[in-house]
Amino acid sequence: MTALPLHAKRGVGRGEGPARLFTLLLATALAFFFGVPLCLLLWQANAPGLVWSEVWLAPESLQALAGTLITSIGAAAFAFTIAVPLALLIARTELPLRGPLKAIFTLPAALPPFILGMGWVSLANPRAGLLNLLLGAGTFDIYGKLGISFVLGTAGLPLVFLPTLAALSRLDSSLEEAARLSGASPLRTLLSISLPLALPAALSGTALCFLFAASAFGVPYLLGVTASPPTPTLTTRIYGEILMGQGGLPRAVVLSLELLVLAAFVLIGSRALAKRGEVRLSSGKGSSLRPMSLGRWRVPLASMSVVLAVVLVVLPLLAVALTSVQPVWGQLSGLSAKHWSGVLGNPRTIDATLRSLGLAAAAAGLVTALGLGIATTRRRSLELLSGAPYAIPGTVLALALLIAFSRDLRFVLFDRFALVLALGNSVWMLLVAYTIKHLAFGARNAADGLAQVDGTLAEAARLSGASPLRAFFDATLPQLRAPLVAAFLVTFLTCVTELTLSVLLIPTGRDVLGTLLFELQSYADPGSAAVIACAFVMLVLVLQFAQAVVARKRAH
Amino acid sequence: MADVQLIGVHKAYGATAVVKGISLRIESGEFISLLGPSGCGKTTTLRMIAGLETLDAGTISIGGELVDSEKGHVPPEKRALGMVFQSYAVWPHKSVAENVAYPLLLQRKPSSEIAQRVTQALEWVRLGAFAQRMPSQLSGGQLQRVAIARALVANPRVLLLDEPLSNLDAALREELRGEIAALRARLGTTMIFVTHDQHEALALSDRVAVMHQGVIEQIDSPQKIYQSPSTPFVAGFVGGANRLEGRVEGRSFICGAHTFELPERVTAVDGPATLAVRAEELELGSTGPSLPLLARLFLGSATEFRFTLGESVLRVVGPARDVKPGESVRVALQHARLYPR
Repeated sequence: MTALPLHAKRGVGRGEGPARLFTLLLATALAFFFGVPLCLLLWQANAPGLVWSEVWLAPESLQALAGTLITSIGAAAFAFTIAVPLALLIARTELPLRGPLKAIFTLPAALPPFILGMGWVSLANPRAGLLNLLLGAGTFDIYGKLGISFVLGTAGLPLVFLPTLAALSRLDSSLEEAARLSGASPLRTLLSISLPLALPAALSGTALCFLFAASAFGVPYLLGVTASPPTPTLTTRIYGEILMGQGGLPRAVVLSLELLVLAAFVLIGSRALAKRGEVRLSSGKGSSLRPMSLGRWRVPLASMSVVLAVVLVVLPLLAVALTSVQPVWGQLSGLSAKHWSGVLGNPRTIDATLRSLGLAAAAAGLVTALGLGIATTRRRSLELLSGAPYAIPGTVLALALLIAFSRDLRFVLFDRFALVLALGNSVWMLLVAYTIKHLAFGARNAADGLAQVDGTLAEAARLSGASPLRAFFDATLPQLRAPLVAAFLVTFLTCVTELTLSVLLIPTGRDVLGTLLFELQSYADPGSAAVIACAFVMLVLVLQFAQAVVARKRAH
Repeated sequence: MADVQLIGVHKAYGATAVVKGISLRIESGEFISLLGPSGCGKTTTLRMIAGLETLDAGTISIGGELVDSEKGHVPPEKRALGMVFQSYAVWPHKSVAENVAYPLLLQRKPSSEIAQRVTQALEWVRLGAFAQRMPSQLSGGQLQRVAIARALVANPRVLLLDEPLSNLDAALREELRGEIAALRARLGTTMIFVTHDQHEALALSDRVAVMHQGVIEQIDSPQKIYQSPSTPFVAGFVGGANRLEGRVEGRSFICGAHTFELPERVTAVDGPATLAVRAEELELGSTGPSLPLLARLFLGSATEFRFTLGESVLRVVGPARDVKPGESVRVALQHARLYPR
């Protein structure tokens, strides 16, 4: 045998017959459930009589585009302004309480932004918000562009915070020490060396935060539609058009394309920035990090960080908790458990909870298994493709699935499969949507995990007499437990209260937790919505705590 | 240029003491190496001189000015030193010229002076043509030269070098070693060089301080360190001597079941002792104890023979001989050092 660089291509026997079939199967499934719907969406947009420019340039569309751009830029700018200084402080200085602060600022990543929005409605509704009850009506108004930017910026904070923190922790500390020896003060070192080196990562995260805000549906709906004057965004307009049925559908499709183009541009920019950051950071060898002393700034900076953490994350969650025990919304009049007993005993809630838990567990299982499958093929193209649905705004994905698999349009291409795939108006459609959307979680985690597993482990098993498949199960798979469990949990938590896809794809007369939350909060009963939100936040906190405990035990 | 003085310097991380009461005086313009295995405290000592670590007890003065004691600590940026790191630490977001100009920029020098001194510093390290390059376009050896130029550009009182050659391949290492020696001769800067490589230390230094477990075992000129190591550790670390535990009786050294005759020039006192003998100071021949050959390694200019001696291995380097592993050969001392215990 010749000495080929085999390391790059160690899969479950890439290129062997069964493996090739497996790859083909995965690719076909992805094409069928994602590629085809997207193509059909584009095909719909080419329907005769539909002039794109007319739809895009209509006053209400321009208003929606402006709403999306302003709130997304606002959210991204807010997240950048808060997250970058925080990351610098937490990663590179002796700020007290770094651990708890990091955990609190990361928490929004695990929560649906809608819950933060609910918290702020409870706090800063101009008439009935708790802050306004305390400080006088009209002091704060969370509705409108500013409020949406603020809430989405908080929810998207971890998207900037975490990559910046990671870039800073990978920084070779001798780069900073060299600056000190050159005569730079600690602050000067932080600003002229550490910050510029972490900036590509921070900017790439900021672009992702913009994308996240532009794709958001729940928060702009909650805080935009009922604002005065109303603040439409592209996602809420698309939703409105879809609700109008056949007449609105073409317009929804054309607006979706607009959102899609926007997303693509931002995503490409973000990728380029992230790549630039990689090049800059990889030159350092990374020695042990020595945090900088803050001197007399220690206490003021720590207090400021704590206040920020409380205001941005803790306060809205507390407000949700308080709302769930307020007998009458918008009045400070004692506490009551009536919402809790009402919601927990309600058959509709129980029904929705069971459906959500089942769907989330099934989707998480599928995502983990399929993600592992995609990662083991070691085909970069398949991995990239599996990441695409997550990058696409949920509203657009839902619309594409709706067009492809609703009864009306199915016959166009899938006549023969009509009986097998009656997805339209069924819960199965949600399962497909959840799985496709979050496939990236599984593929990413599994691929990262596989990249860290020493390939010689499986080779040793092969030489001990195991078949390729057996070697994979006996030697490689056990090393992947942590990333796979993480993929399952993240997908599960995201799907349990998934809102954007659910609102558009839920069969009539059924509920999942996300749609129930949306409906209760938007139309009927904020107190009951708060109960569901509270229960979910507690679930997240318990799971995160459990994960931390397990991680700590493993470290010892 | 300045002298550096350490008096009774202690440093511990938690319960583990890394530097245990080091006293050391480095003359102005001197080139001194801190030599020792990893974990001996040499890098910590250097980082304390740099101001990147604070000491627990003792004092450090640079140019007569007290920079670190239990009472106070002058931060690194106020010490006017230059430092070269093992990992180069060339800032990847700044060009070569910007990297080198940085210390002068912080001293608020006029831009014409900065430009002139940067050009000069880059000439010193033969990188004049690379001023506008970005670090990602340079090789490891070139990056380390940028780092040296940056460390020297502001005329530091002392240049600190923390294993600057360890990340380079063998050929580059020799080349850069020569350049450091040339720069030193040209600029006369006080230099403190940390290394685990005895060849680097011996080749470059006026004096070498051999460190072991947080203390200086010996500080002397390279010749003295090599020729008369004062402890068995120094003998073992510099020159890679065999160390045998045994006792002296008259003119014999008894090691387990074997007895070596001591050469005439070795002075011996009866009693337990450690004998240090370099591989090239042993001779295969007709005298001495007969030892079984374990392995034979061809080194090119010579051959290394490894013998079993009790529980340990005795290394002998000499001209090639036709002995096979398993056969026994007589081994005699030509020279050795005795350290009574």
